Parts: sequence; C-alpha cells; structure tokens
Amino acid sequence: MYRRLLASLLRWTLRLDVGINRVYPADFNPLYYTGGLSNLFLTILILSGLFLFFYYVPSYNEAYTTVQYISERVPYGQIIRGIHRYSADGFMIVILLHFFRNWFTERFRFSRDEPWISGMMLLVFAGFIGVTGYVLVWDQRAELLVVMTGNALAAIPAVGGWLRNLLFGGPGLTNLLLPRMLFLHVGPAVLLYVLLWWHYVRLRHPKVWPPAVWTLFSLGVVLLLSGLIPAASQPQASPTTPPRQLAVDWLFLLPYVSLKYLTPLWLIVLATVIIVYGLYIPYQLPETRAEMGLRESGIAQVIDANCTGCELSYYDCPYNAIVMAPSPHPGVTKAAQARKLLAIVLESRCVECGICIGACPFEALELPHFLEQDVQAKVLTACRS
Amino acid sequence: MTGVDNDRAAAYGMWIAILSLVSLVCVIGIAWAELTSTGHPAHRLLGGGLIGVVLLAYSFILLFLRKGGFTGV
Amino acid sequence: MPELGPPPKSQSQSAPAPGNPARAAGPGAAARRPKIVGFLCDWAVSAEGIVREDGTMRDLPNVTLIKVPCSGFIRPSWLEFALKNGADGTFVCGCPLGDCFNRLGNNLIQDRVAQMRRRLERQKIQPDRVGTIYYGLREQEQFVAAVREFSDRVAQLPAPPPPPPARRPAGVSPATPADGSPSGPTPAPEEP
Repeated sequence: MYRRLLASLLRWTLRLDVGINRVYPADFNPLYYTGGLSNLFLTILILSGLFLFFYYVPSYNEAYTTVQYISERVPYGQIIRGIHRYSADGFMIVILLHFFRNWFTERFRFSRDEPWISGMMLLVFAGFIGVTGYVLVWDQRAELLVVMTGNALAAIPAVGGWLRNLLFGGPGLTNLLLPRMLFLHVGPAVLLYVLLWWHYVRLRHPKVWPPAVWTLFSLGVVLLLSGLIPAASQPQASPTTPPRQLAVDWLFLLPYVSLKYLTPLWLIVLATVIIVYGLYIPYQLPETRAEMGLRESGIAQVIDANCTGCELSYYDCPYNAIVMAPSPHPGVTKAAQARKLLAIVLESRCVECGICIGACPFEALELPHFLEQDVQAKVLTACRS
Repeated sequence: MTGVDNDRAAAYGMWIAILSLVSLVCVIGIAWAELTSTGHPAHRLLGGGLIGVVLLAYSFILLFLRKGGFTGV
Repeated sequence: MPELGPPPKSQSQSAPAPGNPARAAGPGAAARRPKIVGFLCDWAVSAEGIVREDGTMRDLPNVTLIKVPCSGFIRPSWLEFALKNGADGTFVCGCPLGDCFNRLGNNLIQDRVAQMRRRLERQKIQPDRVGTIYYGLREQEQFVAAVREFSDRVAQLPAPPPPPPARRPAGVSPATPADGSPSGPTPAPEEP
C-alpha cells in the first residue's frame, strides 16, 4: 500500500522534473536546488533580521511602537520588514518542497537517515521560529497566539501548566514574555546552523546555493511582494480589547487554525504523531537490497597494497565515507611506495554506490561482491555473444 | 547541443533587449521615487518593489542568455 | 539530453564499411549492427521490459546492458576494455544530470568520459564510440531512442585500424589503468 503510493508519487515527481527540464536547462531546474534555495532564504532572513534587531525593543509597552517605527520612519524599513516576512514564507515553501522531494525519491535510503533526521529537526525549528516571530510584533494576533499556545500547552496532562510557565515565564502575560520570545526567535535561528552542520556532515560537495537565475528570481519576488503587499501589523494588543480573529499565515499558523476544529490536547497529540512519523520515515521500508532488486555489492574495501594516498576517492565520495589517515606503512606497488596517506572507508556511511571505484585510477578500491573482474567478465560475454 | 541556432538566438535576444529596457525604466523609477521621497513610506515601497522587478528581469535575462545559446554551461 | 558528441564528419563516412564487420567478427554480426556495450545505472532508466534475460535489449539485440550500482562506479578503463575486446561502441546511462541518486555520480562520469574521449583521440580511436546519456526511471522510450541513435551513429563510423598486438590475454588481468591521467577534481572539460 505505502509502497505503491510512494511509487506513484515518485512517478509524478519525475514527470514534473521532465516537464521542467523541457523549459529550463537541466542545471537550472529549481527542484534540483531546493536545499540551496532554503539556504538562500535563510541568509536573507538572517540579514534582514539583523536589521530589524537594531530597532526592536522587546518590552510589553514598546514592542508594537518600535515595529511601527520601523515600518513608518526608518528608510526602507517597511521593505526590509516585508522581506523578512515573505522570505520566511519562501523558506517554509522550499524546505517543504525539499522534504517532499527527498521523500518521494527515497533519498533517505541506506546511510542517508542522518541527513533526513537533521532535516526533520530543521523543519520543526523553522516552524517554531516562524511562530515566535509573529508573537514579537505584539499586535492582537500575537496576543491570540500566546493565549492559544498557553491553552494548548496547559491541556497536556500533568506537565502542561509547568511547560506553559517555562515558555512564557509565568501564568498569564508577564513582562518576561517578549524577551523570551525574542530569544526563542534568535536562539533557534542560530541553532539552525548547528543543525545544518549535522545536515551536511555526511555530504561531500553539497549544493549549498542555487544558480544565479534562482537567486535573483527569489530575491526579486520577495522584494516585489514586500513592495506590493506591505507586511502590516494588526491593531495593538491590549488587555481591554480581547482579540477576535486570527489573520492567517497558512504556512506557519496552520496548527492554530486547526484549533477551531480540534481540542488543544488532540492538536498536540496530532502534532507529536506527525513529527514522530516524519522521524520514522527512513526506517519504514526495511527492505534489503535483494528485496529492492539490487545486487549486494558489499561495502567498499581499500586494497592496502595499491593505495597511493592520492585522495581522489576522498574528494569524490558523495557521502564523505572515505577519510585519509596517515599511512602506517608503505604500500606494495611502485606507485604506493612513497605514500603518506591511506584511504579508509567509514562503513557506517558507505552506501555501496561504488563511486570511489570509478574515482580510483590505481585499482586500490573494490566492491567485494562486484569486482572489476566481474564487470570485465560481463563485458567479455557481451562482446562475444 | 552544438552551435547556435540563429532563429532561437534572435528570439531570445529580442526578449533580452525588452527586459533590459524594462529594467532601465525601473531603475529610473527607483531614482525618481528616492528623489521625490517625502519621508512617507509609499515612495520607498515603490522603490523597493521596482528593485524586485529589476532583479526579476535580470533573472530572466540570465535564463534567456543561456537558452538562446549566448552563454555556455 | 543525449551527449553523444558531434555528429560524424560527412567526408569520413563516404564508405560505410560494406564488407568489414567488427573485428571481433562474432557470429551473425551484421555490418550495420555494431556491437554495443552499455552500462546502466540501477537508479536510472528502469530496465524492466526493455531487456532480455541475457542482458541484450529487446528492440536492439546488438546492444547489451550491464547494470551497475551507480554511473559513477564505472572506470573509464572498462569502456576502453570493451572497445579493445570487440565492442564497436560503448555508452554509460545515468540519472538526469543534477538528479543523481547518489548525488554526483553522473557528473563525475560525464567529466571522466569527456577526458577519456580526448585520450581515445590520441590513440586513433574515434571518440564517438563512447557516449553518455542520462534518463530517469520512467523515460524508457526516450532511452531506447537515444540508444538507437547512438547505435546508428557508431554504425556509420569507419572501421577502426587493426589493434596493436595484444600484450596480454584478454580478461585475465585488468585493463591498463588509463595512462596515468587521474580522473577526479580536475578542471571541468570543455563540452562538445
């Protein structure tokens, strides 16, 4: 069932790719750069956020007025605010695209579960940062968000009230609220970079930036939107006029909309289930290679006698599974006599793709169950048939 | 893909020229908006939006340069 | 997009080698049926339905496909090995460029084959006997069409000069490791 669903989703993803490649040159296909686009939007967010940070005062009385000051008095303040708002939406869109694309194309297979899990955490934290950002503005929507979050947390049995006090600094609206929200907006943004390191640690030559066409395009759309539809606050929050309605940003505030139909406890249960399922995705298909119709090539092995320490496989291994260590002894072949380094395969990272075999000109690497002789024998039978 | 297809290059070249003109007009618009700005955000909004249009035009110019065969990989 | 190199020059194909079957002269190898060995990535075009049990293609019985875990797995020396052992042409099929399942395998083999074509030129073997094509899982029709085009192009090439006397029995020891020019983080080759 799941298998068949995934297969048809893969089919549609590839069909979309083929369609896009008909319009764009293949190396401009934006769906090949969803990760790089996320980095682009994150950079825009950090830079515009720094600008806003210079003016923002996280206090109960001044937060709203400083945001208004940025919008109305600071030159291009309204534009920068719009950039921050819309690139946050763009960030969410591209990381969701990244998520779904890598899901449907099964890029979580074998040893690629760590990028997947760090990616899920990046997704969760990105959503969290977005919500705290909406609170910082401190308009009626922000107040409503705080009330709804507090109610939802309080609905958790046993620890709910404690969690709410931990998040907001006490019951009700306290002076600690906005400084905390500011920290929870900026702190996790720094954490995103830590998680990104984890995201990249198993990747060699990651595509961290989109092609110039898409950098310009994304920047242009964000600027154009912030000029056309200025990011605005709702009326100021005040205890006397309780907030009525929620102006919705569907990308970040979807959980709050669902509170209309769900009780807070169910929402929390549902969110937990979704996140846990997301973390479980790479382990859902416990198929062996044989069940997938692939050969068991075995983890790449370094042939000690032949390795010259030339680092070519180290540069080409797409998953950083090859490291160079100081060579304990010289190799056997002539080329390997004077080596200083020796390649070592980290088995936990190897996906048996064999790219290191193609990279090595000295025949110092092999897939133990699919040797060079096996390939050559196949070539010979093919030539003689 | 080898060589330059002349018809295609001409068509894309025309679009590149049009987009260049558009971006030139937008740059003039940005300058105008900035010079006549009275401190009211509206002029800055116009300027910011036009910067966006210029960037969009540049992105499509880059794309058409590539598709017309003017730039390689 | 098939990257099969520039089309053969017209003056060199005036005589399409009428009585000169491939030097391997396999049984039943017709003059216009060049022997082609293709390396096919497991994650690229699905071989389901286009390949017979012995690895030859259903529509093109002169083409044999060898499945490999990733297009980047292939050593260029294996392509040379195939050419030196009687194949008239050999190609690699990987996932669409930019969408390699193993991230960069197809870009790597593209660079390596581009270097290898220059090397073949020095060895007086037409570089057009080697090709790279890139098709995704479901693009079987386009893949078969591209292979057919490659096969036709190879068929039109003039017969290669007789090989130098074999220095070693074929298949016993690996082919010479590609005259020392390393493949890898070298400057990107120019494209045809």
